[in-house]
Amino acid sequence: MNQKRILLVDDDPDQRLTLRLPLENAGYAISEAASLDEGLQEVKKTRPDLIILDVMMDTMTSGFQFALTIHSTDPKSAYKEFIKTPIIMLTAIHSTTPMRFRPDEDYLPVGEFLEKPVEPEVLLATVRKHLSE
Amino acid sequence: MQRSESLVEAEWIESFGWLIRLRWLAGVGVLLITLTIGPVFGLQVAVSPLLVIGTAILFYNLLLFLIERNLKSNLASPETYLRLGLWQVTLDWLAMTLLIHFSGGIESPVIFFFIFHIVIASIFYPPRIAFSFVVLAVVLLSSIALLEYFSFLPHEPTIGFLQNPLYKNPFYVAAILLFFNSTALIVAYLVITISDRLRHREQEVVELTKSLQRVTARLQALNEGARTVNSTLELSQVLNRLVKSTTEVMGVRACSIRLLDKGGRRLLPVATYGLSQAYLEKGPIDLESNRLAREVLGGKIVNVPDVRQTTLLQYPNWAVQEGISSMLSAPLVGKNKTLGILRAYSELKDHFTSDDATFLAAIAAQGSIAIENAMAYQAIEDLDANKSTFVRMVTHELRSPVSVTRSLLRTITAGYAGDVNSQQRDILERASRRIGYLQKLIDDLLDLAAGKMKVINQDSMEPVALDEVVQRVVNRFTVPAQEKRLTLDFHKETGEGNILVKANPEELDRVFNNLISNAVKYTLPGGNVTITLSIAREETQVSVEDTGIGIPEEAMEHLFEEFYRAPNAKEIEREGTGLGLTIVKDTITRFSGRVTVYSKPGKGTCFTVSLPILKKT
Repeated sequence: MNQKRILLVDDDPDQRLTLRLPLENAGYAISEAASLDEGLQEVKKTRPDLIILDVMMDTMTSGFQFALTIHSTDPKSAYKEFIKTPIIMLTAIHSTTPMRFRPDEDYLPVGEFLEKPVEPEVLLATVRKHLSE
Repeated sequence: MQRSESLVEAEWIESFGWLIRLRWLAGVGVLLITLTIGPVFGLQVAVSPLLVIGTAILFYNLLLFLIERNLKSNLASPETYLRLGLWQVTLDWLAMTLLIHFSGGIESPVIFFFIFHIVIASIFYPPRIAFSFVVLAVVLLSSIALLEYFSFLPHEPTIGFLQNPLYKNPFYVAAILLFFNSTALIVAYLVITISDRLRHREQEVVELTKSLQRVTARLQALNEGARTVNSTLELSQVLNRLVKSTTEVMGVRACSIRLLDKGGRRLLPVATYGLSQAYLEKGPIDLESNRLAREVLGGKIVNVPDVRQTTLLQYPNWAVQEGISSMLSAPLVGKNKTLGILRAYSELKDHFTSDDATFLAAIAAQGSIAIENAMAYQAIEDLDANKSTFVRMVTHELRSPVSVTRSLLRTITAGYAGDVNSQQRDILERASRRIGYLQKLIDDLLDLAAGKMKVINQDSMEPVALDEVVQRVVNRFTVPAQEKRLTLDFHKETGEGNILVKANPEELDRVFNNLISNAVKYTLPGGNVTITLSIAREETQVSVEDTGIGIPEEAMEHLFEEFYRAPNAKEIEREGTGLGLTIVKDTITRFSGRVTVYSKPGKGTCFTVSLPILKKT
């Protein structure tokens, strides 16, 4: 069976580790990126089946920008082949993000929000749901 | 004596109508007496001329009556009334003279009637005019007497009145003329003097009343102004209200407030009323180049009666361009320092009196208190906002590593990083619990700080269906309650439809989460937790009632304090932030609601949250 690839985009290496361990354990191939640009490069390079994204990296909204770039509906988008790639976004409800958000198709093309800290079981269940396993 | 005229003028208008009313009687009286004097007293008079005179009196009175009605509807000037008044006196004088002539000339008893005419004229008209009339009367009467005496005019006696005619008697004629004329002049003099004196008194009373009214109006305005100014604590509002009410109360063109900057060397305009934007932007006032500002800040009230003629100002041309001719400045003095300058502007030269100076100083004194209070309040608000921002930043920086640490520990205890022995697992789980508590503390602190910041900018408030929020939270605790063998009930006593309140949904969720979680936590197995949603008048109430351990009396007053935990709560659960109820109270207060608590130790506790109803659907 073809191993599913998951890309973790988060500037915190420890946070990436907490995600990586249970996912690898469950048999997924993991690639990592520590910034927005790196993440975009990695998308093209590793062609992931699913992306897990931190909402706040170098800037307050870079996670959103990333999601908007990947899921852009612009026909000339360089990432249009990834328009259906599910994105799970990690948030901190108590964070100082200037926006209040909920999953909303029109507003943000993001599959699901998970609140940090994420329980490994919850993480795996969510990933499985979005990979339709 | 500009003002005295109005009073005399009012008299001209009043007396005009009054004299017309009296004249009807006089005219009718002349006709009646002429017609009855023959048949009743057997006296013979010149009936036809007297009837003509009586009719003439009634006729010109009718004319005057019509003219007066016309004047009244046209709101004619007092001068018109005076002119017509002079005409009517002249006509009366002529009628009187003719009446005397045709009733016996110097022998006529009608002569005495001239006296009251003189009195009336002396009361109502300016002294010079009144005297002219008296002299006219003297001349007219003397003329009749003399003309009849020398037979230039026929004598018209009342036959049967005197046995021997007296009009040719030189002693009689001379005596009557002497006594009548002197009486006329003396009466006129007395009446004119007395009425003039009375008029002066009256004028003084009027002046006094007016100045009392002015003082009262100013005091009222001052009081009113103080109330408006003090009804807010927001600095910009205080300043704006102060300039507006000062302008209105003083009846001037404009008013401004300039406050000293932090360095104390410049004055910056902070509020104005009635001045153009350009005038404001002329630049700050430098104390070094502005003697006026220095003098005022030194505690003096300075009047600039003409901006063209002063060396005190830094920008005199600007004032001229703005159409300002005079200004009055008073210092705004706080408890410990001078704050700035309150200034009133007028378009007229020499506008400001010493009364105005005292008044402006009074406004400035009151205004200073209001300004200082607002400044103090703002300083506190800024401090609180700064503190909240700081707490938020710090806690956010804390949260991230704590959250990651917890996740890292979790990957080990969940076995994703290889096997751990049971002792290691136990230690890791203890560490994990402590970290969990730390995280809860940070979250609560963040909530509290976030709430405090929202007090200042009332954002994120929206209509929220309260019943749905409560239901959702209750559902969340169904499983934990079952596990603890508690009965968890939700009674919605508000009928069909939703109850909308103005709030933030997530924060409201948090409030009921804290209350119900406490109820579940501090109720022993087998107990009940009952949540009731009801309506009381304009409010909706959510009560969370439990049969738990209760709150000791001594803990009641500290219940909503930050970090406070009741001693019996600590026994049940060692770790707790003591921030849950602070958040509840803080949030609900922000949503314009109240939180009340009733508890009996050992029996249970009931928290009631009351919120104003926005709408019921």
